[in-house]
Amino acid sequence: MDVLQPSTRINLEKASVLVLDDNGPSLDILSQVVSGFGVNQLSRAESVKEAQALVGTKTFDLIISDVQIPEVDGIEFINWLRREAPETNRYVPVILVTGHTRTTDIFRTRDAGANFTVAKPITPKVLLERIFWVAREERAFIECDAYVGPDRRFKYEGPPIGIEGRRRDDLPAEVGTAQEANMSQDEINSLMKVAKVQI
Amino acid sequence: MSVVRKFRPPNRLAKLIKDRGGLMAKDAIAAAEIGVESLREASLAVLDGALSEIERRFGPGAPDRESESFEALYALTLQMIDVSTFVADAGVDQAAISLAAITDSCAEAGVWRWNAIDVHLNALRLLRTVGAQLPAADREAMLEGLYKVSHRKIDEL
Repeated sequence: MDVLQPSTRINLEKASVLVLDDNGPSLDILSQVVSGFGVNQLSRAESVKEAQALVGTKTFDLIISDVQIPEVDGIEFINWLRREAPETNRYVPVILVTGHTRTTDIFRTRDAGANFTVAKPITPKVLLERIFWVAREERAFIECDAYVGPDRRFKYEGPPIGIEGRRRDDLPAEVGTAQEANMSQDEINSLMKVAKVQI
Repeated sequence: MSVVRKFRPPNRLAKLIKDRGGLMAKDAIAAAEIGVESLREASLAVLDGALSEIERRFGPGAPDRESESFEALYALTLQMIDVSTFVADAGVDQAAISLAAITDSCAEAGVWRWNAIDVHLNALRLLRTVGAQLPAADREAMLEGLYKVSHRKIDEL
């Protein structure tokens, strides 16, 4: 994964972006962040119904959607987008944002066909990095009965070198000094020794 | 067996982002931060409103809290998280995320854990009031404690 350097140039002036969030203040924050990135064509939706109407009439280059939306949520919206939206928008990169990252929901966002999921509260740095990654990623698209979206099989190598991870279990890229003594040959042997097992 | 199609659709965003002009990442981030800053007062009002409503309906003194729904507390907590970027230095964002986790686990088990919720509400009020002035180590210890409380399973209690 490429690292977004402070001096990296990003041009989003002509990008058409849809942001969807049912919570007005949260939608305002998201919109301000995206506008600050230089996006001139920004469409806002406060419900999935509104978003679907927009997707039916405009072509988008990026969609950023909240997950927790009453009635029809962001995951169902992406499921619909990947399968039933007009062809011009069906494969558009999608970043989902969520206030609560419970594991089952993250799997659901992935299985709905989202490119990335970002935990709220949103910060401009993290969101711009994800937009950059989404634009640069080279994953193929998979389309079958059970799934439509970017290939879900990719090796997790942690955050890019130089970037501090946001997950609790993210390890630093640099390996530090050993914390324990090396194993002796006897210890290795006892670990690897073939033993008879009575079944 | 279903047919699997593997292909590479054109990524318009990838092309656009490389066009001449645009902004350096550091300038784009700075511009976004300035834009967001204009929403500080309104966002803090939303956050304080949500916290007050949670205390009123789910706090230790709330007479009808047993009859409240898990979804209502979860939705109010998410409202706080949505705008908590302005109080991240006080740890309010992490405490709210922890409250969402505990509410979720209560909903899953169908049982309120009032002790854990009360601890979170006290911590949220304290962090909202003086969180940014607390020594970083104290704030981290408090958040770590909340995390442990919120991730204890009902059957471990």
